[in-house]
Amino acid sequence: MIKKFLILTLIFISFSSKFSYALVEIDITRGNLDPLPIAVSPLFVHKNNLKNKEFKEIGAKISEVIEGNFKRSGLFNPLSKESFVQEPEIAHLKPRFEDWKLIKAQALVTGKIELENEKLRVEFRLWDVVAAKEILALAFTTVPNNWRRVAHIISDKVYQRLTGEKGYFDTRIIYVSEAGPKNARIKKLAIMDQDGSNNKYLTLGNELVLTPRFSPTNQLVTYLSYFKNLPRVYLLDIETGIQEVVGDFPGMTFAPRFSPDGKKIIMSFAEGGNSDIYTMNLETRVVEKITDHPSIDTSPSYSPDGKYIAFNSDRSGLQQIYVMRSDGSNVKRVTFGNGLYGTPVWSPRGDLIAFTKVRKGRFYIGVMRTDGSGERLLTENFYQEAPSWSPNGRVLIFYRETKSNAKGEGFSAKLWSIDLTGYNEMQIETLTDASDPSWSSLLTK
Amino acid sequence: MNSMKLIKYFMITALCSVLLSACATSKKGAVLEGDVYAGNETVEYLATGVKDRVFFATNKSTLTTASRDTLRKQAAWLRKNGKISVTIEGHADERGTREYNLALGERRANAVKDYLMTYGISGKRLAVISYGKERPVNNGSTPLAWSQNRRSVTVKAD
Amino acid sequence: MTKSILLSVLFHIFMIFLTILTFPFMTKKPIDLPPILSVELIQISDLTNIPFAPKAREIIEKAKEEERLVSEQAPPSSKKKEKPDKIPLPNDEKKKKEIVKKKQNPEEIEPEIKQTSDFEKKELFDPNQIAALIDKAKEETAETTKKQKTLTQSSIKSSIISGLTLSEEDALKAQIFGCWSIPLGLPYNKNLLVRIKLKLKPDGTILKSEILDHARMNSPGQGFYKVLAESALRAIRLCQPLRVPPTGYEKWKEMQLNFDANDMLKG
Repeated sequence: MIKKFLILTLIFISFSSKFSYALVEIDITRGNLDPLPIAVSPLFVHKNNLKNKEFKEIGAKISEVIEGNFKRSGLFNPLSKESFVQEPEIAHLKPRFEDWKLIKAQALVTGKIELENEKLRVEFRLWDVVAAKEILALAFTTVPNNWRRVAHIISDKVYQRLTGEKGYFDTRIIYVSEAGPKNARIKKLAIMDQDGSNNKYLTLGNELVLTPRFSPTNQLVTYLSYFKNLPRVYLLDIETGIQEVVGDFPGMTFAPRFSPDGKKIIMSFAEGGNSDIYTMNLETRVVEKITDHPSIDTSPSYSPDGKYIAFNSDRSGLQQIYVMRSDGSNVKRVTFGNGLYGTPVWSPRGDLIAFTKVRKGRFYIGVMRTDGSGERLLTENFYQEAPSWSPNGRVLIFYRETKSNAKGEGFSAKLWSIDLTGYNEMQIETLTDASDPSWSSLLTK
Repeated sequence: MNSMKLIKYFMITALCSVLLSACATSKKGAVLEGDVYAGNETVEYLATGVKDRVFFATNKSTLTTASRDTLRKQAAWLRKNGKISVTIEGHADERGTREYNLALGERRANAVKDYLMTYGISGKRLAVISYGKERPVNNGSTPLAWSQNRRSVTVKAD
Repeated sequence: MTKSILLSVLFHIFMIFLTILTFPFMTKKPIDLPPILSVELIQISDLTNIPFAPKAREIIEKAKEEERLVSEQAPPSSKKKEKPDKIPLPNDEKKKKEIVKKKQNPEEIEPEIKQTSDFEKKELFDPNQIAALIDKAKEETAETTKKQKTLTQSSIKSSIISGLTLSEEDALKAQIFGCWSIPLGLPYNKNLLVRIKLKLKPDGTILKSEILDHARMNSPGQGFYKVLAESALRAIRLCQPLRVPPTGYEKWKEMQLNFDANDMLKG
């Protein structure tokens, strides 16, 4: 009798918990991937500084740089200033959200700048227009000349708050600036902000320079130089301009990169027709041989945790991508598709490897998982290669060359970028032809 | 009956062989043999009759018969002129990734160096340098241009 | 002799002619189905009778297995794999998933229907039938847990129990689909489910909204959850007034929306 009673209560409980829940539940599994409409109000100038003409312009310039960043990212749609109803000063204190909703803005950036004791003080606020509340507020102080970096930092903060991902706007790109006919190209190392401004040349163009890469600490750059007609890997300190050759190798070293901790350079060394991968510790100067195979092993790239290396080898007969442990053990081939694979680059997020693929005379930039599965080709062209990741692992920068006619005319090389999803493919403006781009990590840590 | 069959089979084989021969890769006749440039357009001479360069097929560093012939002549010339040292340049066409092409150029140059050494030339006289795809001799983007760029050039060292 | 040759040649020409005719058909791409569930394709009735539901489950399970191959920085397996040759555009992938999901929906409902009909019968609580009831309950929970593992984030509590019919649910879904700007930066390999409980007014405007799993908003490593939740809240607010049914306010005055960005973001 008791048993039956117990069973009764059990069932009653189990069933009651099911039918007391009279709640309608609906699964929302789709949305739109449209860029988020955002309004960037020009940063208004503190009344004390209104007399300073130059300073007044900085507020507007900062908002323009921010808008440019948002637009190029493909994730935000900065709305035209002409439709803004509220004055920047009032909007910064208390935005009338109805006004902003009217122009379909979902987010609003407002700010204020002030010149205080020769220092630039910037304060900005991010507002959720739909929820009608402030969701981010920050202030910085820096030298007035650094206003561009302020704009990039604000862009990164807003980007992170609204997308959940770290931004990539406060970064630089190093690349090779090219000029002249194909058979006598003048190449110089150049560096610029990620939006194309602040372009500077780091070498003079007297010797061939190729494939520059940033160190994770951003102060050093490694690249290949044909100084004195001896192709070797060099280190360049961006701040001091001092260059030094890496190691004392009796033959060509090339394809250099830094380890994720910045302590080692990994590169290829070619001898007797065979190229193997070596590392050199920058502190101890100890050189280690990582691959030992009669095939060409090159283009090494560390995983962000430093435990694995992806590289390019033709040990199977044609160029393919392999992954091995950072001590050289456990070498595994990861590409098996039709065609050639090269230039593997491990994403800073650790989850993907970007690569160049050549098939039937066409060049592709693609990504795949670190075991080689899930290959996705993002773009196709007559010639393009050498992708490099943005520090948030979202955008790839690479370079393209155009076909030249039989006389060699019509040739150009330009930098391009594309989002991981395959969208937002666009050319990056450079003053000259450009190739071999490499993205720095975030300048702000 | 039998002669009819014979004629039929003959026609079929003739037709097939004509089709096959038409499928040969070279359209330019003797200038490209397979994938390897066999012309003289970009060739310079170290001495009378001694060509300064050899050519390669795409992604390959193997020496063709013509290449080996050229290199034998180079070896003979080097033996005659014992004081001369050379730099062997390895090049690649533009249809590959930059870093791999650097390695490929080095491999091609070494293929030439090894061959010259088998003819008794001392390795000390043979320096090697790779330029990858950086120094094409033909600026065009055509199969002919590419074949002329896939080369290894022997240059007198000064 | 010549006659047979002639016949053979004629026949061969005929066969070649046939293949030329059929070739254009074979190169035609399969018709792309629209991404939003179209109400016309599914018949609305109390009992669902979808013959291909079991197959759909197999497809779903197979699809889920393949997707689980991701290994972050793990040593890759040395299997030889067949790689697709064409460039898979992101759109194609999404549409494929949508087709699979369509078959999934009717499948959810099927066992639930059995339960309600059983429950209605058993309202009298016949003690003699209790043993049978226990077994059914266990079976049902086992089945639901299994489904929870194989089907991502599918709601087991069906809409049939709570009162919105399929077409009204779809209408509301379609409306919110249009309002939800999914933040593209979300990590696609994490749990991207945010559940929001709503109290609604009869005209479809929101009285009160509450984010369930509120603790996740501030927990470390789950920073993306805040972004996800905010985007869902924005979607709901932008969509006001919600497309609610004109009658039966008691049934839907409290609603829970389960926003799941997983399908859209899984590259």
